[in-house]
Amino acid sequence: MTGDPEYDWYVFAVIGMLMLCSFLTRCGYYLFGDYLPLREPVRRALRYAPTAALVGIIVPELLPWQQGAGPTLDLKAAAALIALLVYWRTRSTLLVIVGGMAAYWLLDFLF
Amino acid sequence: MLASRKPQWWPDADKRRLFKAGFFDVFSTLVGTSTWGFVTGIAMVKSGLTELMATLMTLLVYAGSAQLTALPLIESWAPVWLVFAAGMVVNIRFVIFGAAMHPYFRHMTWPRRLWAGFFSSDISFVFFMSRYGDSKEKGTPEQLWYFLGIVIPGWISWNFFSLLGVYMGGFIPASWSLEFAAVLALMAVVIPLIKTRPMAICLLAAGGIAWVGQSLPLRLGLAAAVVGGVLAGVLAERLLRPKKAGGT
Repeated sequence: MTGDPEYDWYVFAVIGMLMLCSFLTRCGYYLFGDYLPLREPVRRALRYAPTAALVGIIVPELLPWQQGAGPTLDLKAAAALIALLVYWRTRSTLLVIVGGMAAYWLLDFLF
Repeated sequence: MLASRKPQWWPDADKRRLFKAGFFDVFSTLVGTSTWGFVTGIAMVKSGLTELMATLMTLLVYAGSAQLTALPLIESWAPVWLVFAAGMVVNIRFVIFGAAMHPYFRHMTWPRRLWAGFFSSDISFVFFMSRYGDSKEKGTPEQLWYFLGIVIPGWISWNFFSLLGVYMGGFIPASWSLEFAAVLALMAVVIPLIKTRPMAICLLAAGGIAWVGQSLPLRLGLAAAVVGGVLAGVLAERLLRPKKAGGT
């Protein structure tokens, strides 16, 4: 509890809804699969949704801009680029996290 | 009667062997998922959740990317329905996994199917389908025990390291900017998905829309990015199809 009941209830409501997300997406087919045929075109289209959503979250975190101030170049974008190069060389998703974090600390120390 | 029911609860040697096979397959990936869980745990407390909230989220939601997606939305007080919608979209892959896995579990009782669904993970789908995807017989006890060998260690290590992150996160100085690891963790999910040209076009479209639309109220830029990204991907797939037959 944070002492701000409005925030507390907001977060608990979000947790409840995310639990519902997990339940519906993970268990939906296990429970009701016999009644839910998933047509091939829909299935194909759905493959793009996670990529689009994750990119939609990542991009504003890496390349933020404010109205009037214009785009601000963040060290995070540079570190993310390095993380991308690390993945390209190593094919390791773990090193994306480790390498990106190390790059960020290094850049933060230098600039 | 009792004797014949007992093996359902306590595995015989054959089932134990398959449980171990699942465990050996999943073992090498546990390092990755544990780190990712640890990062998620830290990110939750760093974004302002209390330890209680973060603990509840870990145990009840059990979906790293949906949790990490929700954090920036929570910080900007996005409406609950939007967080729900974003969580659904990020979790859509489980619908596709579920549709493929369903034939192996349909014979079970509803409560058991509920648990099997809740414990299923990306990794269980990959290993299970590469082992049993072509099996003629679906829903054998061996398949179930192999599945359990993957998901039980996965569940334990994820929650252990996630909670470790939650309770250690408070001791880590803010200057380390460990919340950035959460963004990197999301990148680690997306990057391996970009294997085909339509997927790359989906990424570019969604990224462009999200960048331009980030100052829109209610994080509507995110909703626009999802719609635009899916449309771009489907369209690109349709336009590139003749080439695809020869190439990938």
